[in-house]
Amino acid sequence: MGVSIIRYSPWIMHFNAGACNGCDIEVLAALTPFFDPERLGVKLAPNPRHADIIIVTGALNKKAAERLRRLYEQTPSPKYVIACGACATSGGVFTDSYPVFSRADRVVPVNVYVPGCPPRPEAILYGIKKLLDKVAEGG
Amino acid sequence: MFKMAVVEIPIGPQHPALHEPIMLRVKAEGEEVVEVSVNTGYNHRGVEKLMEKNSWIRGMYLAGRVCGICNAVHTQTYVQGVEKLMGVEPPPRANYIRTVVMELERIHSHMLISAVVAEIVGFDTLFMLIMRDRERVMYLKDLVTGSRVHADIHIVGGVKRDIDEIRRGKILDELKVIEERLKYYRRVFEEDYTLAKRLTEVGRIKKADALSHCVVGPTLRASGVGSDVRFDDPYAAYSEIPFNVVVRDEGDSWARMMVRLEEALVSVDIVRYALEHLPQGPAVPKAFPRAAKVGEVISRVEAPRGELIYHIVSTGGGNPYRVKIRTPSFLNVVNTEFTYLGHRLADVPVIFASYDPCISCTERVLVIDERRGLRRYLSLRELARWGAT
Amino acid sequence: MAELSVGSYSFREAGPRRYVAPVDLERLREVVELLVREDSYLSMISAVDLPKEGAIELNYVFWSIKHRAAFIVKTRVSRERPVVPTIVDIVPGALGGELETYDLFGVVFEGNARLRRGFLVPEDLTSKGVYPMRKDAGV
Repeated sequence: MGVSIIRYSPWIMHFNAGACNGCDIEVLAALTPFFDPERLGVKLAPNPRHADIIIVTGALNKKAAERLRRLYEQTPSPKYVIACGACATSGGVFTDSYPVFSRADRVVPVNVYVPGCPPRPEAILYGIKKLLDKVAEGG
Repeated sequence: MFKMAVVEIPIGPQHPALHEPIMLRVKAEGEEVVEVSVNTGYNHRGVEKLMEKNSWIRGMYLAGRVCGICNAVHTQTYVQGVEKLMGVEPPPRANYIRTVVMELERIHSHMLISAVVAEIVGFDTLFMLIMRDRERVMYLKDLVTGSRVHADIHIVGGVKRDIDEIRRGKILDELKVIEERLKYYRRVFEEDYTLAKRLTEVGRIKKADALSHCVVGPTLRASGVGSDVRFDDPYAAYSEIPFNVVVRDEGDSWARMMVRLEEALVSVDIVRYALEHLPQGPAVPKAFPRAAKVGEVISRVEAPRGELIYHIVSTGGGNPYRVKIRTPSFLNVVNTEFTYLGHRLADVPVIFASYDPCISCTERVLVIDERRGLRRYLSLRELARWGAT
Repeated sequence: MAELSVGSYSFREAGPRRYVAPVDLERLREVVELLVREDSYLSMISAVDLPKEGAIELNYVFWSIKHRAAFIVKTRVSRERPVVPTIVDIVPGALGGELETYDLFGVVFEGNARLRRGFLVPEDLTSKGVYPMRKDAGV
C-alpha cells in the first residue's frame, strides 16, 4: 500500500561507487530543467532516510562498496536500486580489475539496469519510469 | 562556560578527473579548521594495471574512462604518446578536430564547476541556469563525436569522424549564444555580492607555495604562474592557433573561478579559429599499426583541471609494458591540505570545490561533537551554509 | 640543445622539451634541490617494475618553468630492498606521488612519516601484502 506513494513522487539518492563521473554528470543533467524530472515527481533526496530509489554508478570500488552497503541498510523500505551505466551493470571496461567488485548486484539487490556508457539523461529518466511501472504492477 | 570541542568531520565527495575520490578528515576547534588530512581509494579502478593486460587500442578506451568529464584530454595524452612510439603522425585536419573536441570539453567542464560552486554557496538559481546553458555545449559534443560524454573520437593516426560543412556551421552558430551566456556568467561571478563574500580571500595560495606544493592548471594560474601546457609544450593544433594564457594573482577561490570563466571564453575563440581555419585533407586514417616500437615517452596535455601527464613504456609487442597516469586533481586535491587551515568549517567545501574536483552535490558529512556525544549527518551543502544567516 | 646542465648533472635531450639524466640513489636529493631552483615543480613520480633486472625504476618528472622543458631524473632501487630517500621535505608536493608509489609498488620512501597501505589499494589485497602494480602481483 505504501508502495503506491513512491509511484507519484520518488525521491532519488545518487551514489557514486567508483565511477568516472560520466554517468554522474548525466544523472545530474537529468535533474536539471532541460530534462525536467519534476514532471515525474522525481527529486533528489537530502539523505538516505528520505530516499526511495538509490541510483548507483561506477564499477563498485571495494572501499566505496562498503559505504554503499551501509547506506542501503540505512534507507527505509520500500527501497529500490537502479544500476546506472555499463560499469554498475556489468563492470564495463573495469570488469575484474583488482580494486572493484564490477557489478552493483554483487553488493546490493538491483531492480533496474540502465545500460550505456554513459546512458543519456533521457535513458536514465526512462529507467526510473520503468521502475515505477514495475512497482505499480507489484514487481 | 562553553568549551570548544575538537570536531572530526569526514568530508567525502567523489571525484572527477582523478582515479580516486577523496575523503577529507577535518579537525576543527569550534569553527576554526586546525587539521585536514586526505583519505583516498574510493574511486581506484586499477586502470594502469588493466592497460598492461590490454592492447594499445583498448588502452584508448581505458584512458578515456578515467574521467567522464575530461575524457578527450585523456585519450589525447595517451594517443599522442602512442603515436610517437608507433612512428605515426596524424594529419593536420585531425589535429584541429581533436583540438575542437578538447576545447568543447574545457567549456563544459568549467561551466560545470562554476555551477557546482554556485550551488554550494547557496546560489541555486545560478546553478540551474548554468546547467541549462551547459546543455548547449553537450549538444555540440554530441554533434561532433556522436556522444554527449565519452567522445572516443581519437584513433591512432587521426580521428574517427570528420566534421562536415553542416556541422561546422551549426557549431559556429551555437558558439555565438554560448559566448554571450559565458560573458554573462563571468559578470555574475565578478559582481555578485554573495559569491564575492564566500569566495574572496578564501583558500589563498601564494605563488611560492603553489610551486612547492605542485598545484597545476587554473589553481596554479590563479596564483600568478602563467604555466599552460597548450602554450609551453604545444600538442594537437595549439602551436598554430593564437590564444591567451589566463593568469591572475589573487590566489584565492574567487581568482580560480575567474580564471576558469575567462578560459572558457578563450576556448570559444579557439574553437571558432580552429573551425574557420580547418585544414583540407583527410582526418580519418585508413589503417593503424597494432604494435609499438621499443621506447618510452612522457606525454603532457592541458586538461581543464590542469596538467595531465602520462608515462608510457613499450617493450615492443601488442600491449604497453607500463602506463603511468597522473591526473591534475591528484596534485590539486592531495597537496592542498594546508590551504584549509585557519578557515571556518563552512569554507572547507568552497575551497575544495575551487580546486575543481567535481564533487557530487549530495555528498554527506559526519559531524561528531565529542563534548556532547552527538553525531549529525550533514550534506556538503548544509556544511557550506553552516553559520550563515 | 642536445644537453642541458643543472649544477654538475648533465641532462641529455630525449625529445623536444624532454631532458633525461640517470642518477644514483645517493645523489637524488641533491639533484632535486638543484632542479627546484630552476623554477620547477614535480609533475609526477613514475615507477616501472623491472623484474628481469631485479629493480624498480623511478622516474621523477619535473617541469621547469624557466627552461620550458621537462627534466626526468631516473634512478633505481632493488626489488628486494626498495628503499629511497624521501624528497617531501624539499618538495612538499611530492607527497601524493610517494604515497601512491608505496601503496602500488612497495617502494619505501624513507623519512615520509605518512606512508601507509590502503591509500589506494583495498584491504583484501593490503592484508595479504600484495603490491598490485608489481609484475608478479597476481592480480
